[in-house]
Amino acid sequence: MDVIIQIIASGLTLGAMYAVATIGLSLVYGSLNMLNMAHGALLTLGGYICYATITHLGLHPALALIAAALVCAFAGLIIYVFATLPLLRAENFETNIFIATIGIGAIIENLMLKSFGPYPIPQPLGISGQVVIGNVHIPVQNILILVTALILMAAVAFLLQKTRAGRAIRATAMHREAGQLVGVRVGQVYAQVLALSGALAAVSGVMISSIATLTPVMGGDPMLKAFIVCVVAGLGNVYGAVVAAIALGVLEAATQYVFGVRWSFATLLLIVILVLIWRPYGLFGRQQVVRL
Amino acid sequence: MAEPALMLNGVKAGYAGRIVLQSADLAVGKSELTAIIGPNGHGKSTLLKVISGIVRVSAGEISLAGTRIDGLRPDQIVEKGVIHVPQGDLLFSGLTIHENLLMGAYRTREARSIAERLERVFSLLPKLKDRRNQVAGTLSGGERRMCGIGRGLMAGGDLLMLDEPSLGLAPIVIDQIYEVIFDLRRAGLTILIVEENAQRIMDEADRIHLLDNGRFAWSGEGSELMARPEIIEAYLGA
Repeated sequence: MDVIIQIIASGLTLGAMYAVATIGLSLVYGSLNMLNMAHGALLTLGGYICYATITHLGLHPALALIAAALVCAFAGLIIYVFATLPLLRAENFETNIFIATIGIGAIIENLMLKSFGPYPIPQPLGISGQVVIGNVHIPVQNILILVTALILMAAVAFLLQKTRAGRAIRATAMHREAGQLVGVRVGQVYAQVLALSGALAAVSGVMISSIATLTPVMGGDPMLKAFIVCVVAGLGNVYGAVVAAIALGVLEAATQYVFGVRWSFATLLLIVILVLIWRPYGLFGRQQVVRL
Repeated sequence: MAEPALMLNGVKAGYAGRIVLQSADLAVGKSELTAIIGPNGHGKSTLLKVISGIVRVSAGEISLAGTRIDGLRPDQIVEKGVIHVPQGDLLFSGLTIHENLLMGAYRTREARSIAERLERVFSLLPKLKDRRNQVAGTLSGGERRMCGIGRGLMAGGDLLMLDEPSLGLAPIVIDQIYEVIFDLRRAGLTILIVEENAQRIMDEADRIHLLDNGRFAWSGEGSELMARPEIIEAYLGA
């Protein structure tokens, strides 16, 4: 029983982090058909901004988290203005933006390397202590991550389902021209989506670095896993991504326990292959994702 | 003709370097029903897309109630009161009818105004009220068309442009759709309609324009067109 509790607790924490990392990626793909390869670098940027504002500026951790989200939202806007907008007007947008964002990600990672050095740095945002369930010790930090992720996911769901801006995001993702014909300024919607994605990446980066460490390349692994979650859920399906992230998190924790850590990533990849054979458009995906 | 609500002067436009509209001149009278007829692929839908800003004008001018609108973004043109109900409806298929209608009023922020328009749409198209929570992707062809028109009306504009409202529908459903369109015209709305089936619109339209190869080849009243069966036969094959 203790083992099961341990696996569920670790899996939910992992899944919650993956979900927050994936929502932004999925939103951007669903809205623009854009695979944002700089997403991992935005995670890293968020982690370092939080670290720097706490240690160098003496900000309260909550304010540091907000600062990280704001900086990464701004970085998302910069990506929109200088990469997405000019490339949207040209042909082969999907391929061109894929390559362009790899470059942007490399620039951000190198800026972090130059500014903070190559060595791992502990994230100062953290809460010590443990909660004991049976014989299982669950760090309070993990519970905080889970609660924060749940609040964020609920907030994103509320935004998308209940607000005018969210309705415009969903509608434009379904049909760009129809969005224009009802008066939606699609450029503004794209900018909002990239800013929101940047902010979510920042929070995800802070969460991940709070239980691991900060390094300039820390975003690579979560981004890869976020892509796996996206593919399993169906590219562009935000709600499916949350479900898939939690499920894959629990599965990863179980694999780590049963087969060892070295097999967890291989298992994830095996699942992707099986899902793509069984359902080529993902568990919750549709055959056609409408391009904006 | 009544005071023009919309004027096009020498408008040229097309796609990727291919000119579709050669030089279009058109005047749409206020509170009138103006019909554009013509063979397939000769620029009728492009004409509406040019007016709503989806396709850019490469030469010429478009003015709405005396104010130039060519060069404005589609959202700005909607703001000026131009409603475009496109061919194939282009509904937001994953949203409910109610959400689609609310999207129609996207530029309006006053809740009271939105509620009034919603009531008007529901009284005009009662089927939409019954199915307000149904996802648009599951609607029949006729229901989709009604939802498209309803979404357009939610914008509260002055000029309603309809692209082939009868396309792909059963005759009985076409009659229902046209009943709504004629009701709107009687209520004083300016309507510009693209219709391939000239017979459907001849009796009711104030002005009919025949678009051929991106140019207007003939213009006149419905009764005049009825007296010229050779035009219908030559251009529309009916």
